[in-house]
Amino acid sequence: MNNTLLVTLIASGVAYGTPLLFASLGELLAERSGVLNLGVEGMMLVGAVMGFWTEQRVHAGPVVSLIVAVFVAAFSAACMAAIHAFLVITLRASQIVSGLALTIFAGAAGLSSYLGNDLNLADVPASHTFHAVFPSGMQNWPIVGPLVFGQTPLVYASWVCVAAIAYYLTRTRPGLNVRAVGESPAAADAMGISVTRYRYAHTIAGGAFAGVAGATFTLAITPQWVSGITGGAGWIAIALVIFAFWRPELCLVGAYFFGALQALAPELQARNISLGPTELWTNAMPYAATIVVLVLVSWRGARRRLGAPAALGVAYVREEA
Amino acid sequence: MRFTVERRLQQPRWLVVAVPLASVLFGFVVAAVVLLATGHDPVTSYRQLFDAAFVSTGSLDQTLIAATPLAFTGLAAAVAFRMRIFNIGAEGQLYMGSITGAAAGLYLGGRGSASPWVIAAMIVAGCAGGAAWASIAGALRAFFGTSEILTSLMLNYVAGYILTYLIFQSESYWRQTKGFNATVFPTGKPLPSNAVWPAWTLHTQGGIALPLGAGLAAVAAVLLWVLYRRTRFGFEVQVLGDSVGAARYAGVRTRRKILSVMAISGAIAGLGGASQVGDFSHSLDGDPNGLQRQGYGYAGIVVAALARYNPFAVVLVAFLIGGLDNAGNSLQGADFPSGRVGVIQGIILFSTLGGELLVRHRVRIARTPQAPAPEPAS
Amino acid sequence: MTQRKLALAAVLLVISAASVVLALGTSPGAAKSSSVFKAAWIYVGPHNDGGWSQAHEAGRQYVQKMLGSKVQTTYKENIAVGAQFSQTVASLVAQGYKLIFATSYGYITPAIAAKYPDVDFEQATGTYQAKNVSEYFGAAEDTVFLSGMAAGAAAKCNTIGFVVAYPIPEVIRHANAFALGAQVTHPGVAVKLVWTNSWFDPAKEKKAAQSLHAAGACVLGQNVDSPATGQYAQSVHVPWVGYDSDSSKFAPKSWLTGSVYNWGPYYLKRVKAAMNGTWKSGFYYGSINDGFTKLAPYGPGVSAATKATIASKEKAIENGSFYEFAGPLYDQSGKLRVPKGKKMTVNQLYAMSWLVKGVIGSPKG
Repeated sequence: MNNTLLVTLIASGVAYGTPLLFASLGELLAERSGVLNLGVEGMMLVGAVMGFWTEQRVHAGPVVSLIVAVFVAAFSAACMAAIHAFLVITLRASQIVSGLALTIFAGAAGLSSYLGNDLNLADVPASHTFHAVFPSGMQNWPIVGPLVFGQTPLVYASWVCVAAIAYYLTRTRPGLNVRAVGESPAAADAMGISVTRYRYAHTIAGGAFAGVAGATFTLAITPQWVSGITGGAGWIAIALVIFAFWRPELCLVGAYFFGALQALAPELQARNISLGPTELWTNAMPYAATIVVLVLVSWRGARRRLGAPAALGVAYVREEA
Repeated sequence: MRFTVERRLQQPRWLVVAVPLASVLFGFVVAAVVLLATGHDPVTSYRQLFDAAFVSTGSLDQTLIAATPLAFTGLAAAVAFRMRIFNIGAEGQLYMGSITGAAAGLYLGGRGSASPWVIAAMIVAGCAGGAAWASIAGALRAFFGTSEILTSLMLNYVAGYILTYLIFQSESYWRQTKGFNATVFPTGKPLPSNAVWPAWTLHTQGGIALPLGAGLAAVAAVLLWVLYRRTRFGFEVQVLGDSVGAARYAGVRTRRKILSVMAISGAIAGLGGASQVGDFSHSLDGDPNGLQRQGYGYAGIVVAALARYNPFAVVLVAFLIGGLDNAGNSLQGADFPSGRVGVIQGIILFSTLGGELLVRHRVRIARTPQAPAPEPAS
Repeated sequence: MTQRKLALAAVLLVISAASVVLALGTSPGAAKSSSVFKAAWIYVGPHNDGGWSQAHEAGRQYVQKMLGSKVQTTYKENIAVGAQFSQTVASLVAQGYKLIFATSYGYITPAIAAKYPDVDFEQATGTYQAKNVSEYFGAAEDTVFLSGMAAGAAAKCNTIGFVVAYPIPEVIRHANAFALGAQVTHPGVAVKLVWTNSWFDPAKEKKAAQSLHAAGACVLGQNVDSPATGQYAQSVHVPWVGYDSDSSKFAPKSWLTGSVYNWGPYYLKRVKAAMNGTWKSGFYYGSINDGFTKLAPYGPGVSAATKATIASKEKAIENGSFYEFAGPLYDQSGKLRVPKGKKMTVNQLYAMSWLVKGVIGSPKG
């Protein structure tokens, strides 16, 4: 039962979709406030390396050191996001260019790799990792066992984050303000909402989520450090935000779908099922599907209803007419 | 006391030159601090960097190799960004151009020395491949209003997977299938000899050769300049870039303009792909550890931004960034991890990006806060 | 007004600084000095990847340690095939490096070899030879075969999972050797393959391992570079056979053994030859006999009896009385590929494109 293709696929989708989910929730917050950050991959890698470093150096028992590690990962990636925020909000640099520059600065050939090297993190196994917390009996229950009880605490944390962000964006005043800032900064400004402050806060918070996403790799999925360990997940996360219509609950579904797609190629091979050039289409699918969704959301009327921030990518400058 | 930033009505010429230079210098100073902090003498490091980029034997040749694709992708980004069409798909368009360019060369090529017809066909095919790929994002933008930023980005990955597929996961027309070497590791089929692009030796002793692609990039820069400054099309495109409303009022056909700008942008990137095949690799490079690791398309956007989307400046900046890239390889080593090179490059990029503000805006120190005048952003 | 003056000062500063840099930069012979022999290594991944590149890096450090101040060595990491490689070579040559080890296939092209006739190149795993280009690799299939024996002995079911990189002859022959070894200690065992299409990708390798386990594999092996397969194996309590380097520390409970490379002695020999001018182009194919490949230390899951069986096979391989790729060998469909009494040559191994009987998976990926 639990070894059927569908159950294993969804279980892997949940496991491998979790970093995508964290990263896309962060990118969603930034984009909702009108800031596009293409540096997700770089921020994730910095979070991944700093999280791993903390876990190696903090000697305080598994629970404490892992929790501290996740917070350090979030903080360090948030610092990276702050650079982007400063450049695009205060200095009004192009969001696209600054995000790409952040990827070069922090990415696999930049800061993250340098830190991993100087802190001697390569080729050492993790001392503590996140693993399933429920008794193995429960993990073997049909269907819900692998899907729910066989997951790590980070997965449960991501569910809490989804609910919290969904609540925040739809039910709280600051959350509604963010949407106003992303939709029409001028109108938000006229209402007395500080566009700059909101954009800074959400870009930086977005970075923190990317950091947790990175730490999911080094502390749970593949518990080791090697430069470039996120393997392009940051770019898929950017696609995912759109695929999920900028909505946190759909990010969850999309993340698990994309996660399952990544696990599909090996799964089919192991079961001797051939579906054409699997490697090509399972890899290209997340991007192709996102394009289709993008076209759907850009149909007139749909865009507003589905929540694409109208002012995404546009710097807000009050003084200019 | 607080700072206020206001837009300059006119951008003084000297500022346009001085600010980027000062920003680069600032970046080097900050990077020098990083070098000092990690126990490296900045002067020696920079001398080594400069040496490896432009001075030592053969370095200029390598810098040209690194700069040529950057010039193409930089021009591709510049032409689109000018019209506020944010084509960040030069990466994928370059792959597509390399696929179609290679196909033309493999199909039409034969023995003998470089044939102008075969090379011309490769150029056309490369442009067509890149333009076609860019037109997907262009058409979606023109007809559905879909953000080209995101579609062109997504298409980069699709193109990359197709490129790898052609060489690694299938026995396609582009893959070498004959001979012992071909069985050992997947490689592209080598171009016939008359499809290999010529290079002109500039300096025999230094081994500096100007690849045909570098020349084509310069020609493309001139053509773009003429297009934007001397034709009605260019004028309309610029009006459109400034304000869609005004352009519509003036009777400019927005849809057609978006399509043509994306196609031109893609064609230039595609030409860069054909140049990769014709000038340098002489076969389709589908190795995930090859062309796709270079990220020329993304770097081209940074090049275009630093050049402020001016075609001539793009060529110059591409040369400088190409030099920096090339030199980065010489700096890294047993006592200098490669990541630190990326950090230094990133610092320089950030400071030049931030410096842009000073060109476009005037920073004032005001004693009393100015009365806020909420006005809609354009 | 003051603003303008400030800006003017900035411009002057830039110009003066630029000229200083130029003056420093153009001073001749910045890096070329001393009579120390210089050799460089070029890696496709990070030098500390815990796998392929790290094994070469250990070889470089061995050379540096053995020859001390007589040589200067360095490495270049994360170098892409193509333009970046040629840039790296150009800068190394300009800095006076005379011997360059390119540790991955596809790096050295005839154009590069012809461009630097005074520099000697060595390329791992490839087939291109020229006057100044050598190729080197080793018969890891022998030790992979032995590690397959350990896997077969540990298998309590009839399926072993094997995570493999690219569907190319190098990987195919290793997969075949692994399966042949497993069949010695566990007759009738099937070896199931999942291709990752990448040499090094921890997340993909873990997924492959997971899929193989879900499909019934009760032992996992690998011909990829990261320890992710082992980490997964330990999490589901199944034994694991590694590859490339001893990565037992990543999953000490699951670790059985693994085929590892020892590049150092070969590097030392070649550097010494280049130093005294006796370097000649050639093709080196190392073996168990010269210590180029060996089995990593066993983990707790290998029984004494298995160790003894493996040791006797290893002796037989060393003295030439046994060879895993000797006939009769059948392919997956049962067709006789190597008749009785015939042995496969190195050239045939380098072009091997079929999987032996008992392997489940496609040789085309």
